[in-house]
Amino acid sequence: MANIKSGNQNTRKKVQVSMVICEAEEKRHRSGVNALQLDPSLDRLYSAGRDSIIRVYEHERYLNGMEHHTDWVNDIIICCGGRHLISASSDTTVKVWNAHKGFCMSTLRTHKDYVKALAYAKDREQVASAGLDKSIYLWDINTLTALTASNNTVTTSSLIGSKESIYSLAMNPSGSIIVSGSTEKALRLWDPRTCAKLFKLKGHADNVKALVVSRDGTHCISGSSDGSIKVWNLGLQRCIQTIRVHSDSVWALLATESFTYAISGGRDKKIIMTDLKNVPNHVVVCVEEAPILKMCFTADQLSVWVSTENSSIRCWKLPTEKHFKEEVKMPSTPMSVIAGGAAIRQAVVLNDKRHILTKDANENVALYDVLRARKIEDLGKLNFQDEVKNRHKMVYVPNWFNVDLKTGMLTIHLGQDEVDCFSAWVPAKDAGIRDTPDQPEQKVNYGKLLLQALFEHWRGVESNPENRVYFSVPKHIPLILSEVGGRTLYRVLVGDTSGDTENALLNETVPNWVVSNIEENCMNKFIKVQFYLQPHSSVPSHLLKQDRMKKPDRLVANDFIQCRKVAEHVLEKLLGDGTASTPGGGDADNSPTNNGYSVDQIELTCNDQVLDPSMDLRTVKHFIWKSTSDLTLYYKIINAK
Amino acid sequence: MGANISQLERDIGSEQFPSNEHYFGLVNFGNTCYSNSVLQALYFCKPFREKVLEYKAKNKRTKETLLTCLADLFYSIATQKKKVGSIAPKKFIARLRKEKEEFDNYMQQDAHEFLNFLINHISEIILAERQQQQTNSTTNNVNKSNSKAPGENGTTHANAPDLTWVHEIFQGILTSETRCLNCENVSSKDEDFIDLQVDIEQNTSITHCLRCYSSTETLCSDNKFKCDNCSSYQEAQKRMRVKKLPIILALHLKRFKYVEQYNRHIKVSHRVVFPLELRLFNTSDDAVNPDRLYDLVAVVIHCGSGPNRGHYISIVKSHGFWLLFDDDQVDKIDASTIEDFYGLTSDTQKSSETGYILFYQSRENL
Repeated sequence: MANIKSGNQNTRKKVQVSMVICEAEEKRHRSGVNALQLDPSLDRLYSAGRDSIIRVYEHERYLNGMEHHTDWVNDIIICCGGRHLISASSDTTVKVWNAHKGFCMSTLRTHKDYVKALAYAKDREQVASAGLDKSIYLWDINTLTALTASNNTVTTSSLIGSKESIYSLAMNPSGSIIVSGSTEKALRLWDPRTCAKLFKLKGHADNVKALVVSRDGTHCISGSSDGSIKVWNLGLQRCIQTIRVHSDSVWALLATESFTYAISGGRDKKIIMTDLKNVPNHVVVCVEEAPILKMCFTADQLSVWVSTENSSIRCWKLPTEKHFKEEVKMPSTPMSVIAGGAAIRQAVVLNDKRHILTKDANENVALYDVLRARKIEDLGKLNFQDEVKNRHKMVYVPNWFNVDLKTGMLTIHLGQDEVDCFSAWVPAKDAGIRDTPDQPEQKVNYGKLLLQALFEHWRGVESNPENRVYFSVPKHIPLILSEVGGRTLYRVLVGDTSGDTENALLNETVPNWVVSNIEENCMNKFIKVQFYLQPHSSVPSHLLKQDRMKKPDRLVANDFIQCRKVAEHVLEKLLGDGTASTPGGGDADNSPTNNGYSVDQIELTCNDQVLDPSMDLRTVKHFIWKSTSDLTLYYKIINAK
Repeated sequence: MGANISQLERDIGSEQFPSNEHYFGLVNFGNTCYSNSVLQALYFCKPFREKVLEYKAKNKRTKETLLTCLADLFYSIATQKKKVGSIAPKKFIARLRKEKEEFDNYMQQDAHEFLNFLINHISEIILAERQQQQTNSTTNNVNKSNSKAPGENGTTHANAPDLTWVHEIFQGILTSETRCLNCENVSSKDEDFIDLQVDIEQNTSITHCLRCYSSTETLCSDNKFKCDNCSSYQEAQKRMRVKKLPIILALHLKRFKYVEQYNRHIKVSHRVVFPLELRLFNTSDDAVNPDRLYDLVAVVIHCGSGPNRGHYISIVKSHGFWLLFDDDQVDKIDASTIEDFYGLTSDTQKSSETGYILFYQSRENL
């Protein structure tokens, strides 16, 4: 009954609704930073976060965030002299941004899997994107920036021949050569001008994760998960140097303009500068706190900005001649630091299925309220497991959402799959919503409450607060509609859903199962629980209306029915003195009962445990019965006169 | 029958006939060759036979189980006056039919399923008996006094649980290693096995098939790996390798493939060479005993065209020569005949006589 699927939808993948619980402005990266780009003309540093946000810093101070992706941003490039920025994400899209104003101009949905890498040919204003779908697409940036909402078709050329997932990509400024690195353990090369496949360079023993091509396109440096760095002569089509200075995978590479030095970083947390003319001559630039993901030169090329799997971005001075000659030591502290925030690393949904206890990368524990989409308490450094235990309540509420931490923030997914978001009915007063006088035992549905709040502005705000029985969520909360386990269809902030364009787009994307279930007067589909009621052996036979030996009837009730209700049923239907009882009577509350017993004298047990009258059936089933088979309850009379 | 018996003795030669060894065929009770072939193979897995006979010697008056029936059968073969002949495993089959519904009929069964059932079932019996003994002894201890020493003995027994001599002989450990392609952390998980179920390819060897068994699989597109370190789904490389090599390595060649088109299992008669000596190359870096050398000691052979039709026989190695057991028939064969059971090089023929379960015995540590 509960899992009635919105039937008449077309065969498209099921659509789920998600929200990210975040602050109005997330000034700090929550998690690792996958890419860095510097715009020297304005002294702006752009950073691409795993928290889905691209942040802009001017003179090392936070300026603004660019939010539109819904998953890790894996790579970014600045183009058109700093006016535009292009980003690649695990949400499978490539986005074109107005870098100066910080808004997303258009979204390219050509890739079918995570987009991992971008490459830029400055002289031709051409960008290439590649990823786990094994595809490389070439884009003309002037076409991309001219796209509008109504004219958003774009043609692309594709570089074919890759057999495995691509993790790195590089192009020279003139766009005469493009190189890709993949789990094929080989480099593949094309001529972007003709899209002709050129050749393949074998030599690495593992994934190739970092690439640099020289300005003239004659040389290339590759960094691999096999721990080595290789220098390739592209004219000779062979490796001319193998550099083994790292003790683990090489994930990030830079080369000086003249290709005389390579700067490399990786899983061993080290950044090393190597003299390519004399390889044994190398200097450790710094040892970071976490594996190194990306580096970019400062404007003067004398130092590098470094991003890692941690959220902070640091600037380190590069060694000079003196350092290479070991005349002076490298400084052990960074020149400057852009501090990051802490990612949520662990989240436990408390069993009220409304609150989530989280622990972040700094071991701080916090409490969140899903219905209000906000953090309600910072608990500091506590023992997480103990805190989870302490907050355990003897109440069972069905799961109605999924949590995901990929961005380092809480993302809540509502759907109609294994976890049905409409499965949790709770008494309104437990939810903290006042009872309406005419419905004393009103039940509310958590999923419905949250969806009503998320789509409040789209549907039109209920002006009369008296009629509003749900909580509101902050207007800055991102609302995401996506295919289950797949691509994002639409992302919008809750507060923006009333806009004309947004409204129209939502009309297209909000699935039927949401629309039909968030109306106040829609049919409620309660979850049923099946159970047996049996008299305890102490109950005198003459009081039973039913033969003790006969198999009891199977009863069906809403899963949130409290034991008191069941006791009332026992009193009314199963115990009697032979006189007629009112059929179907629902007014058992205070009326004197026909056999002189009151509800308080009916004691229910399950697995020999006495049940609290306020406990609901699903809690009994989950915590006391502990079985998926039909619940069996026993009743007896206590304090019999 | 008499002529055959003397023929086998004549083939071996009375001089060469090993003392204390008996070659007895097993009578077929109507499609029970799946059981006969496996029992013969197990009988000639020396460590297993010894343990079963030891069990027989230790447990005189226990209630009938499949293990006591097996022990009686092995004992009966081992104590025959004659050197060769045939024996009817009546009690064993009767008990088997009682123990498992699926075998309670006269249909052909899968020999591998039977082997699996038998090994698991007898280790369960041993565990149950051990537990019984323990409860008995602990109650005794409590009755005697509260002295700690015997109680502690009891607990050490309880702590080395779940491992029976069956496990000691057949059980190995597989480790599956998954490396996230994003953060490159490796997570590994161990699991026990009593046989390796190996996919086969045409015109290859068992060594090749085992290498494929341990080849790297990439978890990608819709099948990505949920990496704890990355808190997200990422591509990953996964491979299964052997971490602990068992004393008896049982290799099950997956010769029955379900074909949707026919809605049934079809026999794959691919030619897969299995050497007399085997060394595993798909061992993990932390393997306990990666250099174990194995000798082929027995092969259960499937003859025919499908899992529920055809016939099972077995060939075993005993005292340096090879014997073929076909229910109640026993023949000495030339080692070169083993090649006939590798399989067919072409797929045109439907029916074949092919190695189905290979039993390799470790040369050392016995």
